[in-house]
Amino acid sequence: MNNAQRNGLLAAVLLLAMLASLLAGPVWVSPSDWGAGGLKAIILFELRLPRAILGAAIGAGLGLAGAVMQGFLRNPLADPGLFGVSSSAALGAVISLYFGFAASALLLPLFALAGAALGMAALSLLVGRSESLILFTLAGLILASLSGSLTALMISLAPTPFATAQIVNWLMGALTDRSWADVQLVVPLIVLGAIILAGTARPLDSLTLGETAARSMGVDLGRLQWRVVIGVGLLVGASVAAAGIIGFVGLIVPHLVRPLVGHRPGAVLLPSALAGALLVVLADSLVRVLPTTSELRLGIAMSLLGTPFFLALLVRMRRELT
Amino acid sequence: MQMRINRVSLMLRGRPVLHDLSATLQPGRVTVILGANGAGKSTLLSCLAGLRVPDRGTVLLGEQPVPGMDPRVRGRQIGLMPQRAEIHWDVDVETLVGLGRMPHRGRWGLTEGDRAAISSAMAATDVTALRQRKALRLSGGEQGRVLLARVLAGEPHWLLADEPLASLDPAHQLDVLDRLRDAARGGAGVVVVLHDLTHAARVADEALVLKQGHLLAAGPAANVLTPEVLAQAYGVEVHLARTADGAPIIVPVRRIA
Amino acid sequence: MGLRPSNACAPAARPPTQRARTLRRVAPLLAGLLCAGVLAGCNQRQPAPAPLPDHPRRIVSMNPCADALLQPLADPARIAGISHYSQDPRASSVSLEWAQRFTATAGTAEEVIGLSPDLVIAGPHVALPTVEALARLGIPLLQLPVANSVEESLVQVTLVGAALGEQARAQALAAEIRAAVAAAAPADTARPSALVWQGGGLVPGEGTLVDDLMTRAGLSNLSRRHGLAIWGVLGLERLIASPPELLLAGEGGDSPDRMLQHPATARLADAVTTGSYPGQLLHCAGPTIIAASARLAEARASLRP
Repeated sequence: MNNAQRNGLLAAVLLLAMLASLLAGPVWVSPSDWGAGGLKAIILFELRLPRAILGAAIGAGLGLAGAVMQGFLRNPLADPGLFGVSSSAALGAVISLYFGFAASALLLPLFALAGAALGMAALSLLVGRSESLILFTLAGLILASLSGSLTALMISLAPTPFATAQIVNWLMGALTDRSWADVQLVVPLIVLGAIILAGTARPLDSLTLGETAARSMGVDLGRLQWRVVIGVGLLVGASVAAAGIIGFVGLIVPHLVRPLVGHRPGAVLLPSALAGALLVVLADSLVRVLPTTSELRLGIAMSLLGTPFFLALLVRMRRELT
Repeated sequence: MQMRINRVSLMLRGRPVLHDLSATLQPGRVTVILGANGAGKSTLLSCLAGLRVPDRGTVLLGEQPVPGMDPRVRGRQIGLMPQRAEIHWDVDVETLVGLGRMPHRGRWGLTEGDRAAISSAMAATDVTALRQRKALRLSGGEQGRVLLARVLAGEPHWLLADEPLASLDPAHQLDVLDRLRDAARGGAGVVVVLHDLTHAARVADEALVLKQGHLLAAGPAANVLTPEVLAQAYGVEVHLARTADGAPIIVPVRRIA
Repeated sequence: MGLRPSNACAPAARPPTQRARTLRRVAPLLAGLLCAGVLAGCNQRQPAPAPLPDHPRRIVSMNPCADALLQPLADPARIAGISHYSQDPRASSVSLEWAQRFTATAGTAEEVIGLSPDLVIAGPHVALPTVEALARLGIPLLQLPVANSVEESLVQVTLVGAALGEQARAQALAAEIRAAVAAAAPADTARPSALVWQGGGLVPGEGTLVDDLMTRAGLSNLSRRHGLAIWGVLGLERLIASPPELLLAGEGGDSPDRMLQHPATARLADAVTTGSYPGQLLHCAGPTIIAASARLAEARASLRP
């Protein structure tokens, strides 16, 4: 199966998964209910459909961001959170929860986006013109560490245990009850980020040979760096704004996809986006139908999925090394 | 188009590395850069490739200063094989060699011209049999040939190589030297940094000898690769000889006190 | 990597400073992000909340404290759904056998809508997306704030009674609550110091319901002396330095509190009387006040030698 066929297959499976997710939930909706109007149609069109689209968009964004990060850092274990932008976006959202800005449900995502933008600005100021990967990783670490500490501070200063619970709950990530308004805010940003990152495929391929060879072939590494920062920042910021912190997608999906496409970094991008979307849509459907009393938080579901994945990875590596 | 080094000086981390170097490099000829460790050979090669900008002076390709060239145009004209072999992903040989076509590629897939260049580059370096193998699993020597094939696939007008014979077995060392000479015969200008004097003598049409960032000698190989120059450059006494069929041999004999 | 000339002999114009170039790259992006956000935000009209019905027949509650009000005020036939917390003995403020008669939801809009409610009652901490989802779909929502005093709780009782069309029952419940609070008031003027201690050192302070109840039951909440805010964490050191006369340990289960098991607190046993204060009494106002006041009076009485 060549790459184009595989991508087509992934896209088809994704579409099926999205359709299935429209049906699944505490209230089962069957296809015959769609035209009938009434309660179930409302659930379908106002709640499930935006949620499915949002889940697919976020999954695609995170998968793509992870693929680009891994290609750029030449590290198969890099994660989009390494830039610190997801932490600063989360901090923005937590600030809006802490100060109780409740005029509109859209205020929280806007704060998260502002946090992401400030995080990117801080990253750019820290890194300057340098193209050193170590400097980059360190700057991202500083940003993540600072945002994380401030977030923990906000949690500890919360006035009542209920406020604490609300913040902690949001951080665990969920797509519950999202609406078309969230879709309108977040999906254009994800599309923009994806367009910016789509052009990085060739430069990432050239980095297979190392920076010197890549530059000798005419690749502008400085420009690549900024496209990566801005693109990943947009994708990650938008996804945190919509759903809180959803980990592991950016890490696992490109890793799984890579051997199937021959390890070429540029070839990993599109399948990672499609597979990431598929993973999030499936996970989100799963948390809706699991018989737990309250809906399992999506971020927790992803973490639970991630751990056995890493275990399998470790076992395989041990076997290969001995 | 000639490549001209015009009074190039460069400082790195506060230390002077190249001093007022001038030379002219001709296409269709193999120029070897020689010198002791730290003499500035790799730095000079980087300047030729446009990866470093001299503090003073300039490198010209024809009439154009190399640092000012559009990077893609420069990538098409000049191909560099760096000293350190880096392969970061577990791709197969054909993909790796195909990366050399990057300066030429349009928006979409590989053209017939691209595929032809890749095939002939693989044939020239004798790696066609390895095309489906994973590059990271190859031996050091095989990887070296694959990386040379990558540069050849770009069909550059100027081929710059920094110690391309490292970790190759003798048969393949001779093969690579032959390929470099073929490239020159095909019209490309070839500039190679070598540290083995016999190899240098074997392949060089012209030679540049550096000593501590200064140009010690430049010119046709026969004039430059003499015991006097080499003694000054390396601080060793060398013995020149020829094999029965005329191939040159340069052997370092002892240190000069 | 020395890519740029570092000395004064570099030709041509001065390149812009590093900061300027960086800002030039990032500024358009930030501006774009903010514009996108503002435009998207402006495009959303806030959905107007739906008006409450006169006599709702299908009431769904998303909050266990609202359930506690529904139990005395509403006929079971009118209740379409309650909060899942009410079916968990550790978190419930209603009798389990009453709670198990109803469908429980976890509070997502999807589940609530699936029950076809004509009135939804919720607490203050519902996620905003859920609130807006209900408003968008025209489902009337009554959101009750946390009652921080007996008076606020009585207001809520009246409010909910009016919303349900059960004013008479609401008046009766309010009278019961007032009577229980009055009965707990002490005969003498002593005001022994007391602290309610929840797991991990969490202490309710001035401005909470239990603080109001303690005052009315003739106890002085020591949290003021420690300078704690509405809810604060009191370290063991400060507890031992100025212990209350009455320490009410408030965890809801039988798992012993780690801090109270500390050897240091064993020394307190002479100066301090400890009593239990079940966690359930801390969750809600309304009918819970009756049991809470009785418990506080009982604990205070145990102090007299």
